[in-house]
Amino acid sequence: MATISLNIEFGGGLELLFSNQRSHRITIPANVPVSSATGQTPEDSDVPSKPVDITYLMYWLRDNLLKERAELFVENGTVRPGVLVLVNDTDWELEGEGEYQLKDGDEIVFISTLHGG
Amino acid sequence: MSCGNPTTEPDALMQRRKKYDKTKNCVRCKDAQGNIVIRHTVYCKNCFTPLLIHKFRRVLEPTVNPKPDGPRRTALKPAGNLVIGFSGGLGSSVLLDLVHRCYVALDKSTMPTEGGRDHPRHERVWKKVTVCYVEVCDAFPGMDDRTDEIAHFVSRYDELDFVPLRIQHAFDRTWWERMGRSTSFSDIGVGLADESLLIEPLSQTYPDPLTALRTYLSSLPTPTAIHSSIQALTRVLLLHTALQTGSSHLVLGTSLTSLAVSLISGVAQGAGFNVREESMEEWTPDPETRPTPDTVPDDGTEGARKSKEAKRTVRIVRPLRDIGMKECATWAWWSHIPVVGKEKWVWPGAKPGIGTLTKDFILGLEQDYPSTVSTIVRTCGKLAPKGEVAGKCILCGRPAQRGVQEWKARISIRSQPPPPPSDSDSTDAPATPAPVVPESKADTRPSLTPYLCYPCHTTLTSRSARPVPSPWPDTAHSSVAPLPVWTEARLGTHADVGVSVADEEEIAVAKKMGQEEMKGIVNEFLLDDEEAS
Repeated sequence: MATISLNIEFGGGLELLFSNQRSHRITIPANVPVSSATGQTPEDSDVPSKPVDITYLMYWLRDNLLKERAELFVENGTVRPGVLVLVNDTDWELEGEGEYQLKDGDEIVFISTLHGG
Repeated sequence: MSCGNPTTEPDALMQRRKKYDKTKNCVRCKDAQGNIVIRHTVYCKNCFTPLLIHKFRRVLEPTVNPKPDGPRRTALKPAGNLVIGFSGGLGSSVLLDLVHRCYVALDKSTMPTEGGRDHPRHERVWKKVTVCYVEVCDAFPGMDDRTDEIAHFVSRYDELDFVPLRIQHAFDRTWWERMGRSTSFSDIGVGLADESLLIEPLSQTYPDPLTALRTYLSSLPTPTAIHSSIQALTRVLLLHTALQTGSSHLVLGTSLTSLAVSLISGVAQGAGFNVREESMEEWTPDPETRPTPDTVPDDGTEGARKSKEAKRTVRIVRPLRDIGMKECATWAWWSHIPVVGKEKWVWPGAKPGIGTLTKDFILGLEQDYPSTVSTIVRTCGKLAPKGEVAGKCILCGRPAQRGVQEWKARISIRSQPPPPPSDSDSTDAPATPAPVVPESKADTRPSLTPYLCYPCHTTLTSRSARPVPSPWPDTAHSSVAPLPVWTEARLGTHADVGVSVADEEEIAVAKKMGQEEMKGIVNEFLLDDEEAS
């Protein structure tokens, strides 16, 4: 199964939800099921697949790295209001938000503007 | 693109609306690819920095000189020093960074290029800059004390003085004395159990500040009241610190997003009359509690000398009010500012108050419809509240609207006397409707009510139908809650109209309206006996 490596950074207090660690280097599948829910394997020939995107990454982080309070990170299929996402130092709104197709070596930053308050 | 079923026709799915106008290129330089979208407008990283600094200066600099500039822009010469109100949150961290860059470190990259090397803008505007932090952890169970972290954060910036306070200083006479104020007033409190808000002597020796704070908070009727009270106490503590440091300006890190939240939640709590003060306000201390001249710090500078002589006024400015929370977060990230953050104000069993609910709403709005948040602030900026100012509120220090209590009395139905006994021979006659009159006891006992603005009165008296868990349930409940020192001081010096001190233990308040007067007002609504029968 092809995989890609990503640099993930958390800021603005979000790191507290991820073992108080700001930087993470992760490896995720390069292709994922069309449905964003993790758990299905793209190796099943009957499962339609697509290049991995930020929405999948978001759920992957929630299911694999997040230690507590998932509702502070993900809400209604996207990041919680008040969370800013940068893709290679660029606002994800310029890159298609959750539909941005991740590439090997991308840096994704999740910053909470709420800073706990 | 058809309007068919997206499941069977892929083309039927409407394209997602773009979050930016036109192209992905920066609208400013038109050259580089954009890095950030601010309310549908695209900016690159290089253009974002001068844009933010321009917005910051544009709000702050016109307020620096005591009188606004005329047609010619003059040099920036404030009447006193500067205090930065610092909470540890995103906005105040960005504010501190910008103030230091522009007015302390004199980072040349932040200055406009015209004017030349000797232009006055290259001089320090404020000779002394103080960062004041109010720790609120003692107001909420289980909250961490962040004073040391905050001190460490501030120490990253040189030439800044740091003044840490605690929220219980609002009930601390020692602190009040350090501010140069008189402490010769008696221990008086207020009965918060009912809306009469009667002023009474404290039943026991004045409690220590921490106990006083927790007793006060435990006596408040709603979570909203607790949040609003802590915000008001913090603001007044900062104002007195500004006064004590010879400062003419107090800057707060309220962003555009936070301002929208405070405007909407303020109006929801009855603070519409002070909607302009949420953006900018001028505060003067109560005349009877002004410090004596020798307690005003004199560091020998021209600014300090002028501030001693001139009428002491502190101007509260919110220089980030045109800068959204997203822009602040982007600036903090790109500038590597290690924001300390602040905790939520919660306690076991408490439901979210108006402020929390409003913040959740505004944040959701900003994500989906970012321009609406700036629309809220712009619209509120156009409002000109009706009504005259009748002094300053004794609790929050903001202008109080004249005639509030009379208006409340007119619109409120407080009590309904029992209907007169019905005649047993006239069972077919309609029941005599009971006259409905506002509660109007001839009560001459002193009350805090006449000294309060409408939102503070509502904060103290508006009760929830459900029992409200207190943040400090183990605190001994007292029928008379202590008051902040500035409130006690003003009551104690009895400088307001209608207040006289009978003796050291008692305050008498002249009754403004008697029962007959009240009946006269509602007379037109009363049914005559002949009409009723």
